[in-house]
Amino acid sequence: MIRRVFKVLTVILLAALLLKGCLVKDVPESDVKPSEDKNISSDWTYPTPKNVTINGVDYLQSQAPIGNFGGELITSTIGEGPKTFNPFNCKDNTSQVMASIMYDGLLTTDPIYGETIPKLAKSYSISPDGKTYTIKLRHGVKWSDGKPITANDVVFTWRDIIFAGFGDTSTRDSLVIDDKLPQVRKIDDYTVEFTTHKPYAPFIRLLSASIAPKHIFMPAVKKGKEYFDSFLSTNTPPKDFVTSGAFKLKEYVPAQRVVFERNPNYYEINKKDQKLPYLDKYIFLIVGDLNNEVLKFEAKELDVISLQGSKVARYKSLEPHSDFKLYNLGPTTSTTYLSMNLNNRKNKDGKFYVNPVKQKWFQDINFRHAVDYAIDRKNMVFNIANGIAAPLFTPESLNSIYLNKNIKPYDKDLEKSKELLKKSGFYTKKGVLYDKDGNRVEFDLYTNAGNTEREAIGVMVKQDLEDLGMKVNFKPIEFNSLVNKLVSTFDWDMVIMGLTGSPLEPNGGKNVWLSDGRLHMFNMRTPQEGKIGILSWEKELDDCFTKGALATKFEDRKKHYDRYQEIVNREKPFVYIYSPVVIVAIRDKFKNIYPSSLGGITHNIEEIYVGREK
Amino acid sequence: MELFKYIFKRIIQTIPLLIIVSLISFFIIRLSPVDPLAELKLNPSISPETVEKERQRLGLDKPVIIQYGKWAFSFIKGDLGVTSTGEKVSQKLKERIPNTLLLTSIVIFLTWLVGVPLGIIAAVKWKTPIDRILTVLTSIGMAIPSFFFAVLLLLFAVKTGWFPIGGLTSPNFSDLSFGGKFIDIAYHLVLPVFVLFTISLAGLQRQMRANMLDVLDSDYVKFARAKGLPESVVIYKHALRNAVNPMITLLGFEFAGLLSGAALTEYVFQYPGLGRLILEAVLKSDINLVMASLMMGAVMLILGNLIADILLIITDPRIRVKS
Repeated sequence: MIRRVFKVLTVILLAALLLKGCLVKDVPESDVKPSEDKNISSDWTYPTPKNVTINGVDYLQSQAPIGNFGGELITSTIGEGPKTFNPFNCKDNTSQVMASIMYDGLLTTDPIYGETIPKLAKSYSISPDGKTYTIKLRHGVKWSDGKPITANDVVFTWRDIIFAGFGDTSTRDSLVIDDKLPQVRKIDDYTVEFTTHKPYAPFIRLLSASIAPKHIFMPAVKKGKEYFDSFLSTNTPPKDFVTSGAFKLKEYVPAQRVVFERNPNYYEINKKDQKLPYLDKYIFLIVGDLNNEVLKFEAKELDVISLQGSKVARYKSLEPHSDFKLYNLGPTTSTTYLSMNLNNRKNKDGKFYVNPVKQKWFQDINFRHAVDYAIDRKNMVFNIANGIAAPLFTPESLNSIYLNKNIKPYDKDLEKSKELLKKSGFYTKKGVLYDKDGNRVEFDLYTNAGNTEREAIGVMVKQDLEDLGMKVNFKPIEFNSLVNKLVSTFDWDMVIMGLTGSPLEPNGGKNVWLSDGRLHMFNMRTPQEGKIGILSWEKELDDCFTKGALATKFEDRKKHYDRYQEIVNREKPFVYIYSPVVIVAIRDKFKNIYPSSLGGITHNIEEIYVGREK
Repeated sequence: MELFKYIFKRIIQTIPLLIIVSLISFFIIRLSPVDPLAELKLNPSISPETVEKERQRLGLDKPVIIQYGKWAFSFIKGDLGVTSTGEKVSQKLKERIPNTLLLTSIVIFLTWLVGVPLGIIAAVKWKTPIDRILTVLTSIGMAIPSFFFAVLLLLFAVKTGWFPIGGLTSPNFSDLSFGGKFIDIAYHLVLPVFVLFTISLAGLQRQMRANMLDVLDSDYVKFARAKGLPESVVIYKHALRNAVNPMITLLGFEFAGLLSGAALTEYVFQYPGLGRLILEAVLKSDINLVMASLMMGAVMLILGNLIADILLIITDPRIRVKS
């Protein structure tokens, strides 16, 4: 009930805002096309920080223009705020963001090119056999309480916290290869060596995990896992945090804000050798929903905001006579797709999960391609996402460094669809589609109710498919029931869902693509069934993912992941629809802004400064 | 002594009531299709082992009746359990209750301070322009839905920049002096208090007016007037004391609403109170948190009624004689 009230409320709010937008200035359609809308001028490149050694201390030196010290940047986080500040206990995104501001990892991702680059580490090297990783640490770098950061901290973090299974074990789980964990060894105070018993490419990305100060975490680890789960929680006084990141916690007010202040011991300096960050404070307001976030930005309580679909047009029209600037960060990592249920097995009671008549359709590759060609992605991008999205044809997101660029986009082609259907013996009579056995083509299309975007996509998919004479019963159902259908009872025909992947590491998608994966939705097998009834192209996908994870060179891995995208594109278990584009607005007064698709707008928060008013 | 016995009896009576309330709410939450693990199940980077571990940690692998038993047992011991993200429920509630109490008690105080006198005035000046104006104003107050009004005020705040967009304190709150902090909080409270005040004032004023009119029409008031008592004595001594009894019952309900009455307004204004916390808990089926808040609501209601009854015994001799 309350949800419905808020939906009404949202509509009213949006209407009010849009109406105002229209009054200010009529926005021409062409103004909001994302592809031509190049807000990011290409006349700059992000100057990557360099290592310099001054008086025996290995600093990281920012190469960006020198700025002024002081000021604050206020951004927001949607939801109920962080659940913990312990970087090893984070299970939700907000906590993760907060913890990673305070605790740097050994390595990080280059915000522009997506390579792995050193952060807390000075440099790293991988042995030719791809099994040994040697990490050199910075000399003379300190925790916020003045104690030096050494190999002891690194070894402690990896061996005694992560490998020992403290806190959230997802990093550990993803490192178990053939029931074995990597080894970590201290060579000297500033050198650490990791060894995996097999080459395992995703490991290098995991080295970006936060490093904990041993002298603070040791007592907590000694008290056991249960104590560790509540260690450095949101109730811990801010002064108890000893951090390595650019900022440290100053204040946490439940349901209102998290305030970070400058870490005076941070190891990055500017070109004049002054210690960064420039900003005194970095503030996150905890905002309950998107509408309130917009209001707060308009009332100048927020400095940065991410905009979606409908709101962009209005902001675009406001931009020329306002104090903010819009940046197009490109497509996000979230992918929306339409999936068909290829399951041809029976459940415990001996009944088919999917009606055998429908099975024939979904397992027919021509049918799947016909559906694909019937869908008008461009129309959806314009009408649902207000043009702030990009049509999608691959399982890897459009900003992924592993994107297969050979897969070319194509438009809706009803003729081709009809031709494909005809080839498989489907025929139409009075605008109604029948299969070759004379069964009317009718199926259910699910999505989660409450997600207005997916509901809108569902309506348009239904219309597109009905052009082919299919009868689509579109049924938005409650999220939990839908998940239950997808992962437990498998009794669905077609579904519109979305997944968020990583633009850097396709291996995260293995749960979806491996034939015995936990989210192998389109042909889900129970754990007891194992790899039963595996299709030939599913076998190929398994092969791509297994080999892709074991190869270490980017080029080698790319080959495997390119092939997986080709297979998915050829077999169409998922018909991809579009990826939303992120547009960010930030106040003009902030300088050194180098937005990137991978890093967002505040990836170089330590270099951002407040420009002097002219 | 009689009074204590009565209170004791009433408290004993509440125990079966609380058990029934908890049983019903627990089973409704558990039998609803909301799966606290749905989000995890659909996250490709989380392994089935982790999902299974979470299920065990939340006790979802056990039958509902055992889950209830476990919850009830720890509830009796005074332990409210942990939320689905592992934080202490009591801690979460402790963070929010003062904020909600601050808001609701200001509102209740203001509405009673203004509503009761306005009700009396309207009744005394029955069918005069003052009464009519008040009736129109309260009709407006009752007709505006609180969330809509709150949204309008928020938009007003954005346009004019006169008021903050929700919240309770400014980002630089901790750097302010004591006086500055007081002003900052007051500044943030203006809009939410105004919304709740407008809505509840209308109801209260009408209630008071109706009660007063009833009493003013009764025989003993006519008699008092006939006796030649001054009008002020008639109204404040004879009429008001009788008219106020139903209001005391109402006060009991207001007490129950202290913690939960402002949820919708709190949500719109992003007020860091219980409303936002519990709404999210319900959506995520965070059972311990939802149960704690429901039980709290039930206890507050029972307590409110008890207080009202006791106050009635004190103010109304007729009830004292009966009991």
